Amino acid sequence: MISSANELARRPPHAILLKTRAKALYRWVTSRAVSSSPVVCMTLASHADIVPTATATAAPLIRLDGVHLNLASAAGIVNVLRGVDLAVSSGETLGLVGPSGAGKSTLMMVMAGLERPTAGGVQVAGHDLVAMNEDALALFRRDRVGIVFQAFRLVPTMTALENVAVPLEFAGRDDAFDRAEAALGQVGLGHRLTHYPAQLSGGEQQRVALARAFVIEPALLLADEPTGNLDGDTGHRIIDLMFGLAERRGTTLVLITHDAELAGRCSRIVRMADGRIASDAVSGKKP
Amino acid sequence: MSVQAQLGRLPINGAALPIRLALRELRGGLKGFRIFLACLMLGVAAIAGVGSLAAALVQGLREDAREILGGDAELRLAQRTAEPDQFEFLRASGAVSSTVDMRAMARRIDGEKRGLVELKAVDRAYPLIGRVELEPPMALAAALGERNGRFGAVVEPAMAQRLSIQPGEAFQVGEATLELRAVIKREPDRAVGGLGFGPRLMISVDALPSTNLVQPGSLTAYHYRVRLAGAAPVRDWIAGLNERFPDAGWRVRASDEAAPWLRFHIDRLAQFLTLVGLSTLLVGGVGVGNAVKAYLEGRIGTIATLKCLGAPARLIFRTYLSLVLILAAAGIVAGLVLGALAPAAVVATVGHLLPLRAVDGVYAVPLFTATAFGVLTALGFALWPLARAQQVPAATLFRDLVAPGHARPLLRHIIGLGVIAVALAALAILTASDRKMAVWFVIGAIGSFIVFRLAALAIIWAARRLGRVRQARLRLALANLHRPGAPTGSIVLSLGLGLTVLVIVALLQGNLSLQINESMPRRAPSFYFIDIQPDQVDELDQMLAALPGATNPRRVPVVRGRITHIKGVPVEQVKVAQEAQWAVRGDRGFTYAAAPPDGARFAEGSWWPKDYSGPPIISFDANVAHGFGVGIGDTITVNILGREIEAKIVNLRDIDYRSFSINFATIFAPGVLEGAPQSHIATVKLPEAEEDRAEKVVTDALPNVSAIRVKEALAAANRIVAAVGQAVQVTAGITLLAGALVLAGAVVATHHRRVYEAVVLKVLGARRRDVIGAYFLEYCLLGCVTAAIAAVIGSIAAWLIMTEVMRAPFVLLPWAVVLALVVGAAIAVGLGLAGTWHALGQKAAPLLRNE
Repeated sequence: MISSANELARRPPHAILLKTRAKALYRWVTSRAVSSSPVVCMTLASHADIVPTATATAAPLIRLDGVHLNLASAAGIVNVLRGVDLAVSSGETLGLVGPSGAGKSTLMMVMAGLERPTAGGVQVAGHDLVAMNEDALALFRRDRVGIVFQAFRLVPTMTALENVAVPLEFAGRDDAFDRAEAALGQVGLGHRLTHYPAQLSGGEQQRVALARAFVIEPALLLADEPTGNLDGDTGHRIIDLMFGLAERRGTTLVLITHDAELAGRCSRIVRMADGRIASDAVSGKKP
Repeated sequence: MSVQAQLGRLPINGAALPIRLALRELRGGLKGFRIFLACLMLGVAAIAGVGSLAAALVQGLREDAREILGGDAELRLAQRTAEPDQFEFLRASGAVSSTVDMRAMARRIDGEKRGLVELKAVDRAYPLIGRVELEPPMALAAALGERNGRFGAVVEPAMAQRLSIQPGEAFQVGEATLELRAVIKREPDRAVGGLGFGPRLMISVDALPSTNLVQPGSLTAYHYRVRLAGAAPVRDWIAGLNERFPDAGWRVRASDEAAPWLRFHIDRLAQFLTLVGLSTLLVGGVGVGNAVKAYLEGRIGTIATLKCLGAPARLIFRTYLSLVLILAAAGIVAGLVLGALAPAAVVATVGHLLPLRAVDGVYAVPLFTATAFGVLTALGFALWPLARAQQVPAATLFRDLVAPGHARPLLRHIIGLGVIAVALAALAILTASDRKMAVWFVIGAIGSFIVFRLAALAIIWAARRLGRVRQARLRLALANLHRPGAPTGSIVLSLGLGLTVLVIVALLQGNLSLQINESMPRRAPSFYFIDIQPDQVDELDQMLAALPGATNPRRVPVVRGRITHIKGVPVEQVKVAQEAQWAVRGDRGFTYAAAPPDGARFAEGSWWPKDYSGPPIISFDANVAHGFGVGIGDTITVNILGREIEAKIVNLRDIDYRSFSINFATIFAPGVLEGAPQSHIATVKLPEAEEDRAEKVVTDALPNVSAIRVKEALAAANRIVAAVGQAVQVTAGITLLAGALVLAGAVVATHHRRVYEAVVLKVLGARRRDVIGAYFLEYCLLGCVTAAIAAVIGSIAAWLIMTEVMRAPFVLLPWAVVLALVVGAAIAVGLGLAGTWHALGQKAAPLLRNE
């Protein structure tokens, strides 16, 4: 139990369990503690009790236990995931491959806390995602997860700089724009800060998306076919950039791709078929 | 960096984040929000404009109050002048001006043309405040003075026209011959007199005796205006006056209540127009809701992205709420500017028709009220789509599911919506001068919303049931009405509400006009002859009987007086209901009779025996008795020329004043009023062709008798109804415009789908006219069904207003219903086809390639 907030700053604890509705305290803890303490569980809502179960150092970053997911569709219930067990260590690069409809994207959504499993356990960076409510999951993503989409998903009415700064703004960080500018510099777009997505090429847009994903220094980066909308050369440059950034920061990378060559760059390849893991192989690349 | 870009980079702190994000979103342009802005602007402009104009008129009334009243205080005595000691008291208080008002007939010298005038004989001190402006310009004293043995006179242009006389020519009033010297351009205290039966004729009091019009019992009123010398408040002076002369029997008015009837009518009309304006806002609100919904559906990607990046639902809600509020502020400000300009615009265009000066200026209260209405409407209609938008799942990004799903808004949003609705209703009721009418409006508005909502569901249900018809165009049209995402609901609601207002206004105006132009004249007598002296009654009776075609001649004596006590309590201390106030306002006519009036209907009690003699008893108006809170056995005290008479009510009559026959609220039994100074009133009904001759015969023989032509009085009333009707029509037109805008918005929203549909149909072999035919059918069905429902709801509402509020008979006018149908179908088909015409011109190939 932490008796005072200042104590938290002086003595970064191994793990923090915080339940508060006081936004100021919540924001304060977020800004000071998140980078130094591996486990931070918090909620604004009283009913979502979050229990830290393990610390990141002792357990894998991602741990899925018997994850089932059924979705209702016009044709009836579809079993999208049928019992997935997976553990991903910190710093691993994981390639998720398989045919369309195998459940790759759904599995990724489960990891990001965007989809709640029908059954099974999901733990990411020490958080029990199943036990968290929507808003807590949003905050979890804001602080711990970067996502890169095939369709870039930049906000069209925001400049490149603002697109990158948004997650930091959500976190109430005063240095949001400075850090965003630095992140754009790292992806080679220091000269494109005030451009809107429509004024950028596809490759440039994906670089902005990468900067946005990495600016929060996430523990986990999820990439859903990040080169799907790009031509070969541009795609290669994006991939180099992504792997480079992940490696430099020790970020765990989960990558969905149809491109065998791209998958081959990952340290581990998980092949999915029909909602299950069909194979799980270490590619020999260094993690 | 552009200004817009800079706007999005406000200093970082928690509270500003939603606003910052909203400003960034606004960079995407206002494309989907044009209807939103126009709807709010129209509604707010209507409410702010009506309120500002009313405030400008009331301000004019206030600023010009002393001029309108003609002094700090005004005393009015019926049929008698002030006693010498009373006059001395007035003289000692400051400057005094006295005038005599009565009705009279003006005749051209050759007797060929004549007309009723409102005669005002003024002394030299008149006017104490302000100036009478004449054309050609001259001093009033010069215009009215005696020259070459004739007194001068000035008249309103209407009378000069009526008699076809020019300044310099002579004419007759009563027994006097006067010279018209000038035409009145402006009479400072014109408004205080209320509505007259004829144009103004102004002469000098010195000229009055020569007319021989003032005779015992003639309907004259003596006005004394006082401009106080001291600094004491006028109210104190009046208190002192009443203390000094407690039984004077005069009506005293201070300048702070110069024209209470005018104030009352301004308030009432303003309230009615405000409610019509509020209808505009409610119709526009549907457009606001549609715009917000369509916009947010286009932002699903962005919302999901922001959620992926860690934005909690609440931040999403606040961001788009901020955006809606920023846009609403823009629409409201535009509406306020338009509304604030309304007084100036009205003054510039029809200012000369107004009975008083509208003081230009910006009036805070109506603008504030309009703002509150605007904000509440925008919030109320935007809340639902906003609440649903915040529930967009972030997972949307990974799937191609674009359907927003049926996320149910949270309880707090439902409560919020309820609070807004209650606040809107409370504001409408609290800002109204007639709360009861506002309450009915609120009930009507809620009812209409529910009925049109249900109607839309019924149309969708019916279209689905009928969907399997063989005829291809009709099948397509029906399918378009019930497919998911069809704008049927919002079109039915907005167009329906707009048309309902149109039907109500058309029916009310049509009914009033029918009353005035047809129903009333059929029953009403042709003439009222007033100021008949008792020694003239036999001659008059004979003349009326001799008129060809004369029917139903009636004549009764009139004594003027005022009600001073009700059940022994001074009227000032009695709470008299609004609808009975007229009976205690100023002096009224009383009559006496041995037999009941023809066709009298008794609500309670019975008539007295023909040979009644005993203490004073009266027959009283049942409605007024209700307003006074009195019944049979209670007493009413009447002051007649300074003498107080307390009389007991023995029966109550239901009186229909619209019959225009002679009706008196109070009829005395014989034995009390016979000795009082009195004149007689007579009425007669004549064939229209005989009217001119009858007027000439009577007024030539009896020059002091005035003939009031009922037809002309009705025409004057009709002009007022028409003028008010125009104001109402303009406001109702704005409501319909808002409805049309919402419809246009709904059509535009389906544009993309229609282009695609048209292309696919053409590819499949449909001819251009097949597609057009289907669209025509679709909008025609929608317009006609909506108009039919609007006609029913509007007719019910108009019936309730006529029978319950105006207490008049109601006639369902088929043309009003047809009007609604035609306008509704025309708007729906016109805007619908205009919106889809473009779709037909699309080349198929490029679109199909893109798909």
